Amino acid sequence: MEPEVQVFYVPKFGNSEEEYEDAAAYQAPTRRFAVADGATESSFADAWARSLVRQYTVQPPLTPPNGTPLHEWVIPLQREWHASIKWDKLPWFAEEKARSGAFAAFLGLHFVGGTAAVVRPSFFGRLLRRKPSAGTLRWHALAVGDSCLFHVRADRLLKAFPLDSSKSFNDRPLLISSNPARNQSVWRAVQLAQGDCRSGDWFLLATDALSKWFLSQYEAGGKPWQTLRELRSSADFTASVDKLRAEGSLKNDDTTLLMINWTGVQTAEVPQKISIP
Amino acid sequence: MVDPIAGSDGKRKCDSVADAINRLLHNLIIKCARGEGVRNFYEVCVIGYGAHVAPAFSGPLAGRDLVPLSEVANSPARVEERHKKVDDGAGGLISQKVRFPVWFEPVAKGITPMGQALSYAHQLLSGWVPKHVKSFPPIVINITDGEATDSGPVPQAEAVRGLTTEDGNALLFNCHISSQPVAPIVFPDTDSSLPDDFARTLFQVSSPLPATMRDLARSENLTLGADARGFAFNADLVELIRFLDIGTRSSNLR
Repeated sequence: MEPEVQVFYVPKFGNSEEEYEDAAAYQAPTRRFAVADGATESSFADAWARSLVRQYTVQPPLTPPNGTPLHEWVIPLQREWHASIKWDKLPWFAEEKARSGAFAAFLGLHFVGGTAAVVRPSFFGRLLRRKPSAGTLRWHALAVGDSCLFHVRADRLLKAFPLDSSKSFNDRPLLISSNPARNQSVWRAVQLAQGDCRSGDWFLLATDALSKWFLSQYEAGGKPWQTLRELRSSADFTASVDKLRAEGSLKNDDTTLLMINWTGVQTAEVPQKISIP
Repeated sequence: MVDPIAGSDGKRKCDSVADAINRLLHNLIIKCARGEGVRNFYEVCVIGYGAHVAPAFSGPLAGRDLVPLSEVANSPARVEERHKKVDDGAGGLISQKVRFPVWFEPVAKGITPMGQALSYAHQLLSGWVPKHVKSFPPIVINITDGEATDSGPVPQAEAVRGLTTEDGNALLFNCHISSQPVAPIVFPDTDSSLPDDFARTLFQVSSPLPATMRDLARSENLTLGADARGFAFNADLVELIRFLDIGTRSSNLR
């Protein structure tokens, strides 16, 4: 039960590919998706953003079997980031800057199917087992900062998360840091959301520039998802982004979009009747 | 220029000025550092004015006027080791060794040809702005301990502030270090609490802070009036670097 997935990105105009600091990752079979946006003013933020999204697709926080909370989930990633830097080879300014840590906005989304119920064996040792009832697919999302998720159903925006207004974007969001000393105020600010997913639903994950554009269009009465759903290739996306930047409606920034399309996928099953002999 | 600065035990005013300049450069470099390099968002010139008015980098950059920031970063005259208290991540403070690069050495020369220095800045920038019309306008930060001993600063300051790019006028920020035991005043919006005529003159020729800088300063809990100017009295302007806008910074970055 896998959706169709597309990922598009364009670096900030004036920057090279190497300077691109957003990241996106997904695992369609396990239905895990993430985007992250490394902060321009921090160092080695691209590596930090990539490690966050990659690990989310391996094992998201707050999920079984351990239900690891986010502040513990990042610890091995912080160690890995720290170890990846050649500290003794860095010039004085690079070392000092890197000691502050890398910062990133982070948005993760995953989908879970129905539940299974197992009944204890009866007194006579007969095991009664109820077949898993698939029920409706459910989605769970986690966000720190201003990368956003948009859930679209039947040509309507059902949910915008964690920000739902174009006025909410500013230059100083709370971001996850690779430096443990810089996260105290972050853990209180983690946003969580969930909902159901039906056949035909679209989920769009975007970093801040595109998210702000999306909400501005929506607030003006438009349906920005229609524009994005028509994209067929990276070249299409780049051309659209170039045009929007030129007309001033999209901020010049790294721009990343991950689209999940559940059209044509059956997301719910009718529970089967069990007969007990 | 060798009187101790008010409130600093025995530290010469010229040392305070030199420290302020080195820290300004240091902060600007850190702000623009990314990975193993420094993004050349700025070119920098340090102009010294005392017995001479001239570019005042020491070391490998001696004699150079506008230098790209990455080159400034890689070419200090020397690097001192100092100690700084930092958060240990567990609620305490630890002393960390930090490297303090020096590009500008303290010089006490007795006269203050501020008008001439501002004219020199104007001359340099008149050549720069036509080649960078789409850039953020230049910022001139003037750090002084005393009154101008030439015809400055008013007409020359006005000439500097008259230079423009498509984004707006060049900015002139002034920092006055005095012997008077007056508490520090930073980004005031009136000159009413300034203790002497010269401080008031410097205030009058200081540019108002642009809206983006004002907003950034306020978001870090500085109280500023709408007409706040880029002026400081008995304080340096090193913190000003924090309010230069080069992109997203997290609110938990510091």
